[in-house]
Amino acid sequence: MLTIAVFFGGQSAEHDVSIITALTSVIMPLELTNKYRVIPVYIAKDGRWFVSEDLKNIAVYQHGELKRLVSRMKTTGVICANGLKLLVPSRVGRKAISVDIAFPAMHGTHGEDGELTGIFEMAGVPYVGCGVAASAIAMDKMLAKQVVTAAGLATPRALYFDGESVRSNSAVLAKQCQQLTYPLFVKPAHLGSSIGISRVADKKELVNALEVAAHYDDKIVVEEAVPNLIEVTLPIMGPSSAPQPALLEQPLTHAEDFFDFDTKYMHGGKKGKGGGKKMGIKGAQGYSKIPANLSKELYSKAEAAGVAAYKALGCDGIARIDMLIDSKAKKVYFNEANPLPGSLYAHNWAQVGVSKIDLVEALVGYALDRHYKRSKLATTFDTNFLTQF
Amino acid sequence: MPSYIASLFSFYWVPSISTTLVYMLQATEYQPGPFIRWFWRTNDFSAVMQRRQLDPTKAARFIRLFTLLGMLAQLAIGGLLMYAGLVEYMTSGIFFGLAVLLLYPILWAHLLALLIWGGHLTVLRSRERNQAAEATALFAAHAGLKVAIVGSYGKTSMKELLLTVLDEAKTVAATPANMNVLSSHVAFARKLTGAEDIVLVEFGEGKPGDVARFSSVVQPTYAVITGLAPAHLDQYRTLKAAGRDIFSVADTVEADRVYVNADSAAVRDFLRPDFRIYSRSTVLGWRIVDAATSLSGTTFVLVKGKKRLSLRSHLIGLHQVGPLAFAAAFALFLGVPEKKVQAGVAKTKPYEHRMQPYQLGGAWVIDDTYNGNLEGIKAGTELLGSLKAKRKIYVTPGLVDQGKETAAIHKQVGHYIAAAEPNMVVLMQNSACQHIQDGLREARYKGTVRIEKNPILFYQNLQSFVAKGDVVLMQNDWTDNYS
Repeated sequence: MLTIAVFFGGQSAEHDVSIITALTSVIMPLELTNKYRVIPVYIAKDGRWFVSEDLKNIAVYQHGELKRLVSRMKTTGVICANGLKLLVPSRVGRKAISVDIAFPAMHGTHGEDGELTGIFEMAGVPYVGCGVAASAIAMDKMLAKQVVTAAGLATPRALYFDGESVRSNSAVLAKQCQQLTYPLFVKPAHLGSSIGISRVADKKELVNALEVAAHYDDKIVVEEAVPNLIEVTLPIMGPSSAPQPALLEQPLTHAEDFFDFDTKYMHGGKKGKGGGKKMGIKGAQGYSKIPANLSKELYSKAEAAGVAAYKALGCDGIARIDMLIDSKAKKVYFNEANPLPGSLYAHNWAQVGVSKIDLVEALVGYALDRHYKRSKLATTFDTNFLTQF
Repeated sequence: MPSYIASLFSFYWVPSISTTLVYMLQATEYQPGPFIRWFWRTNDFSAVMQRRQLDPTKAARFIRLFTLLGMLAQLAIGGLLMYAGLVEYMTSGIFFGLAVLLLYPILWAHLLALLIWGGHLTVLRSRERNQAAEATALFAAHAGLKVAIVGSYGKTSMKELLLTVLDEAKTVAATPANMNVLSSHVAFARKLTGAEDIVLVEFGEGKPGDVARFSSVVQPTYAVITGLAPAHLDQYRTLKAAGRDIFSVADTVEADRVYVNADSAAVRDFLRPDFRIYSRSTVLGWRIVDAATSLSGTTFVLVKGKKRLSLRSHLIGLHQVGPLAFAAAFALFLGVPEKKVQAGVAKTKPYEHRMQPYQLGGAWVIDDTYNGNLEGIKAGTELLGSLKAKRKIYVTPGLVDQGKETAAIHKQVGHYIAAAEPNMVVLMQNSACQHIQDGLREARYKGTVRIEKNPILFYQNLQSFVAKGDVVLMQNDWTDNYS
């Protein structure tokens, strides 16, 4: 029986979302296959790692139990030599658990940006999802725009600033943005779940929004809003060479709104009363229309753009590509990529006949295939460099 | 400590063994035999209350308190004996005291069984006699038509169908839910106003003589026999004995007022010439044509000469056609206008856990977990086989109370499942599992067989297994006392 370690939690604003992804869409389906031994590796907000069967229980995280549990547990260590080993506290010292496959379920900083994946690469353990480079590019909204633009895809016009400049002189930077057409979106470059994003209509709002965004990140992106907006997202899985798209999904938000954290996670995907329960399918980020309500032509165009972006960014395993559509001009813009979609976007995959169990099994399969192919590559070679030194 | 040893002695560390024992009594309907058999079959007392909790009725609370106090007294006596043994150097005192201390769960389980058995012999039998007398008088005084609904399966469904259709034009009362024993009959009779045109009474059958007893109490005007299949064979022993009891209703009803479901093959041995039969093809002089079913419902047409009556129901499965047609034809016979019959049939919809379809994560799930007989399995698997789906999944723990026929009946279950050709069969790890697998093997089933050790975990996480395009049929569920 293969041992799969699922990494979740983490030191990011998406710590809680990550717990939901891990528990509902990764750990439980993996266990239900009866094929794997699943080890939950919880990374606390202070960065400590913990391993315990109790951490598979959602109730632990809901009623303050976590604090008590963690206070009486010893931390888990890790060894990256000849594979990945977790050093888990036992009655006598620590026991090493060899990990056959790593399954990162950690959104945001340190998890989704390639840092965690880097550990798996060094350890030489097969892992699920995008590699270091694709994760790092995808998690930098500006870098991702630059990469997909180079691949010939459209993205809204944008500028970026470093956080230090924003904090010292946001008014001057706001002036530089005059070359862009209002309304504008101001975004922290590296954060997911729409945290710190503002929509601004004039220079005064822009200054405030820049300062808010700089509170979260050291790189700030300012980009033009797309008129006649239809926002869509496309979950994709598979290797970069043969991506398989799910269905284009249309969040049920008003055109003038945007999908902020509260809308996604706190209000069931619909601002105001009602929650939109009867209007669409409830997914990881609230209610949405699956498939998106687009003409056949526009649907194909958006799907092709999503797949092209997945390839251009070098995504592998799973990712979600967000796009913005100008419904009048019938133009599709790349917005951003998400290398670890919340709850793996299992609700969308279910609509194309892929169950949660099918999904995690497919992702594990891709991880093993990639690892097998990479193991055939030479990573070291002998030189006489040292003897000549 | 090895887990099997831990399980063997698990009653010592179940937080409240008294609650567990009373729960087991309650779940076995206070029957001493099944209770003791369950006690000795149980490996892990901490896992007994999986599906439900103790219903804290007055009787349950009293028995629990009585048991708890008794256990505490026993522990105190055991402790005193050991103390006496140590102080008085009485070796036998130590061993006897230890035995008294350790045996408290076993002793109290058997004491409870004994007390219940004694109670059945004295108090309960006398109460039942009084209830029977009261109910007999109440039913005899009622002027309405009394319809008895009897059979191994489909009783509650038939009762609900008749109620829904007849209610369109008549004043009808029916025994609630699946309350079909004497105590529920008397409670029902007390609530009758006397103004009802028709009274529908469901007769349960649990042991030989039940139906005859209920018949003499209710004295029905009409009887509907919904079918005969292996059920409660732990009490009836044979299907023939069950059939004799079910058909004993005809001893109190005129033969031409007994309606029998001829789609049930096992009833044939009991048919008398004057009985009136109904089936998927004919009912009370009507022919049934153009029957069709899908996940949205069932349609058919009643034809008599040039007269045609189209009917549509939300019930699913062609096995519903016979009972639906009977309900419609019986209503017409009793003078309900055609339009009202059509409206009544249109209102019939799946009852909870009986061929009840619902959507889950884009998949269709047919919940037939209340079913518990071979005929139901046959009907369900036929429906599954007829539906179009990207992937078909069949889930069952098997049937309970099949007595000596357990192996043969579950092999037949395997054959029925294989004929539906599901992509995956999910069975529960229990005494029926191997027999169903044998049946699947005999029928050369080629799909995937998955054995679940924890049925509740499976049911709770069904959504993880399914996606759009899937159809899942879940038949039967074993309550805790069968696990």
